[in-house]
Amino acid sequence: MLRLGRHEFGDDDTLMMAIVNRTPDSFFDKGATWAEDAAFERVRLVASQGAEIVDIGGIKAAPGAEIGAAEEKSRVVDFVARVREEFPRLVISVDTWRAEVGDAVCAAGADLINDAWGGADPELVDVAAAHGAAIVCTHTGGVTPRTRPYRIEYDDVVRAAIDDTLGYAQRALDAGVAKDSIVIDPAHDFGKNTFHSLEITRRLDEMVATGWPVLVSLSNKDFVGETLDRPVGDRLLGTLAATSVCALAGARIYRVHQVPETRQTVDMVWTIAGRRNPARAIRGLQ
Amino acid sequence: MTRVALVPGCLALLPEYASLDDPVAELRAACLAAVAWLGEDVRVIAGAQGARVASALLAEVGAAPVSSGEAAYLVVGNGSACRSEKAPGHLDPRAAGFDDRLGRSLVEPDADALGALDLGLAEELWADVAPIVEAADLLRRVETVAVDYDSDPYGVRYWVARWEGNVG
Repeated sequence: MLRLGRHEFGDDDTLMMAIVNRTPDSFFDKGATWAEDAAFERVRLVASQGAEIVDIGGIKAAPGAEIGAAEEKSRVVDFVARVREEFPRLVISVDTWRAEVGDAVCAAGADLINDAWGGADPELVDVAAAHGAAIVCTHTGGVTPRTRPYRIEYDDVVRAAIDDTLGYAQRALDAGVAKDSIVIDPAHDFGKNTFHSLEITRRLDEMVATGWPVLVSLSNKDFVGETLDRPVGDRLLGTLAATSVCALAGARIYRVHQVPETRQTVDMVWTIAGRRNPARAIRGLQ
Repeated sequence: MTRVALVPGCLALLPEYASLDDPVAELRAACLAAVAWLGEDVRVIAGAQGARVASALLAEVGAAPVSSGEAAYLVVGNGSACRSEKAPGHLDPRAAGFDDRLGRSLVEPDADALGALDLGLAEELWADVAPIVEAADLLRRVETVAVDYDSDPYGVRYWVARWEGNVG
């Protein structure tokens, strides 16, 4: 069982985590949902498309203007409360590395803290435990939040990702986060060059074999763009190809911009893998 | 009094071919009710694939096939698979007449007609009737007949029928 705050899922369920940016400058949507009402429309859209999770973020991952905790909270806390009220069945995740922000959003109704920066704030696990929230433990190679990877190398990037995310998971457990509320994420492109992200994708089964549910965040990222020489906005096919590989390996949660396309891709691969039945098969079986 | 039931050998009834949205939900419900009605000891009259369908249905209701002793009978068979252009065997103009005659013989029931079904024509029409021919004598002294399902949702004619009477 996978428990994300107030929501429970079976061990063979795959989950779409739709990205909802309350930022003026994120790389894919470039501020399209910066206004609160636009962000809320985005939530309505992805909920209607069947997303199980919304991942609300108040700070873009890339370097840029410094956003303090107060400003970050002003972008996400009331918004979380509004989403909680209108969509009681939606899992609400908040993309933050700050314990202070995590505490406020959990109080407002968040179920999951998506710490894309690998536990940079050591108190974040305590916040998750205190609220009974779930947590995503990512691998970043130890970089400072909102910095780009520069000449980072690994003896074995997959080994490093497993060791770091499991170490983080252990810290979460020690802090009192429930075992079935911990998710690991190799964090494509975070502290990684394109070759690292490709290797993580190729060997994702090794992360799945740890037994922890694996989240992948592939959507329109630079490793897709560099691999296919495609700009942001023209990376859907590459994203879906990478998604297929991760689905075959057994990734459980997919952090995405395009929900229906990813859902179809994952359902197809999950069914090929024998973990899901076809929607409706009668051909040759009459 | 002996109970006899007929279900079609539709492979979509098998658990290994399950869909999220059951394409034969209505047929399945009728089959399971009929099989449950047979009781615990059931002798199966079926071809190889039909026997698998029978075993799966019996397992679903907590019964298992027996080979001797007093028992009810589960017959697995169906009409033609050539009833439309989309049917597995495409459209054969003889299919409708064949199925209608077979259907009438099952409902009456007419054991002589069932025992004398044209197996050559049945094969050309992709109809699985050999088990029905084999079971025909069981339907000589029937007192009650119930047809729970009679349709061809995918170009194959299915019946779910139940008979109760004195078997010689």
